[in-house]
Parts: sequence; structure tokens; C-alpha cells
Amino acid sequence: MSVMEQGTHSLIELLETIADNKYVLGDRLVEVGVSGPNLEATLSAIAMAQGELGHARLLYNWCFDLKGVKGKKPDIQAQTGKAFQTAVNVQNWISLIASLYAINAAIDIVFQTVLKTSHSKVASRIQKLVREQHDHIIYAENWAKQLLLDQGAVPYRFQEALREAAEEAKAWLAKVEKSEELKKEGYFPETPSFPEKFEKRLQQLNAEQLVQAK
Amino acid sequence: MIAEKITYDIFARINRGDNLMHIGTVEAENSELAKVYATFTYDEEDWTEMVVVERNKLNWVKKPDWLFSEKGAEAL
Repeated sequence: MSVMEQGTHSLIELLETIADNKYVLGDRLVEVGVSGPNLEATLSAIAMAQGELGHARLLYNWCFDLKGVKGKKPDIQAQTGKAFQTAVNVQNWISLIASLYAINAAIDIVFQTVLKTSHSKVASRIQKLVREQHDHIIYAENWAKQLLLDQGAVPYRFQEALREAAEEAKAWLAKVEKSEELKKEGYFPETPSFPEKFEKRLQQLNAEQLVQAK
Repeated sequence: MIAEKITYDIFARINRGDNLMHIGTVEAENSELAKVYATFTYDEEDWTEMVVVERNKLNWVKKPDWLFSEKGAEAL
């Protein structure tokens, strides 16, 4: 496999992982989000589900282009198996917010770095996605703060859910950062410091100990 | 939840130069969430401008008595 092909292969792997997570999040936002704690949160969850599924479709179609698929794109019936286990296992509001925050924050860190590179074709594909995703992050971040300040067992259960989701996201970021092919292709600088940036984001939630706990 | 919900009025303009319309309200814990809720709830138009205003921050110039206020009814 040539260097160019390896770079494309790594990019497809990256995009499919992000698309899979967005596909699963879209599904979970409908399933779990429909029984959100209040009307506004529920309506927004359903609207965000459409957004996440739209982002997934955009990224899958991009992957089909990179794979050289011509003509009509195949229907997407399921994720390709790269979604985070914590996202797949979301069953309630607490784990939904934890996964929504951790996954979108991680994706945002990667895409913000890619946007700063000189890949204008790549940037044009993800600019709208990044802008729309910003609202999803604000939503998840504000709900995360509320759950951390809630009463009873809620803050502890949320911390646990966030720790699990954050660990998986951080491990993925570390793996992405090591991809020499993506660096050679110029998608990232030599040391993008993804895990460090992710931890910094978590610190904004006063949750820095969650990632470091294990 | 510990945080109290605040009522925000939402105003929007479809095109530049159009009248600013009151299109609805959202209840949210803070203005950040109010903006997100407004974006996702009132997405029937591609608004040129949208603003959320905390109802308590409105400076009333003229405000009529609410219906049946003489009978003790309170404004919502």
C-alpha cells in the first residue's frame, strides 16, 4: 500500500469512527432523549438526534467517495462497528449526557485541529458540521453541570458515567494522535496533544479527576 | 434539579428589514441553554436574527392590569 493509500485508509478509519459514534448518538438521543427531564430538553434532544444522524450520513458519504464508490451511495443500515461501547450502552438520561458530552468534545478537538491545517477541501466538508456541533456541546455541557450539582445519587452516577465515556474517548484520541499517516498527509501537526486538550475541557466541568482516577 | 428555571421570551426576524416578531418562549436554567433550546425548538424558519430575553429583564414602559387582577388573579 502506498503512503497516499495509507493516508486515505487512515482518514476513512477516522471518519468512520466519528460517523459511527454520531449514528449511535442520534439513535440514543431519540430513544432516551424522548423521556428527558423537561419539555425543552426533550424537544432539543430530538432535534439534535436529527443533527447527529445528518452528520453521520455526511461522513459516511465522504467515506464512500474516498473509497471510490461511484453513483448512488449505498443506504446506511447500521454502524460499521467502531462506535464507542459507552455510547452503544446508553440507557438513561445520565449516561446519554455523559456520552454526548465526551464524544462531541473529543470529535470537536480533532476537527478544530483539522480546520487549522491547509486542507481546504477537508475544511469545506466539516465547517458546517463543526458549527452545528457547537450547540450540541453547549447543551451537553450545561446538562452535565446541572447533573453534577444535582441531589442524591445523581452527581455520583453522572461522574461514573462521564469517567467511563471520557476514558474511552481519551483512549481514542491518543490512538488518533499516533497515526503517522494522518500527520504525513498534513491533517494534524506533529504533536496535536489531543488527550491533553480533552482533559482541559473536562477540567472546565470540575471533573479533571474523572479521567485521572484510573 | 437545583437550578431554577427562568422564562425567556424569543424574538426573531425572518429577513433583513422584517419586523422583529415575538415567536414564543422557553424555560431554561440559564441563557446558554435558552439559546440552544430556542434554536432547536423554533426551527420552522431560517431566521436571520434570533434573540432570547429574560422576561424579568424587560423594561416595561406601559403595562395593563392583567385580566381579573381585581379578583386576585396573578400574571403568568
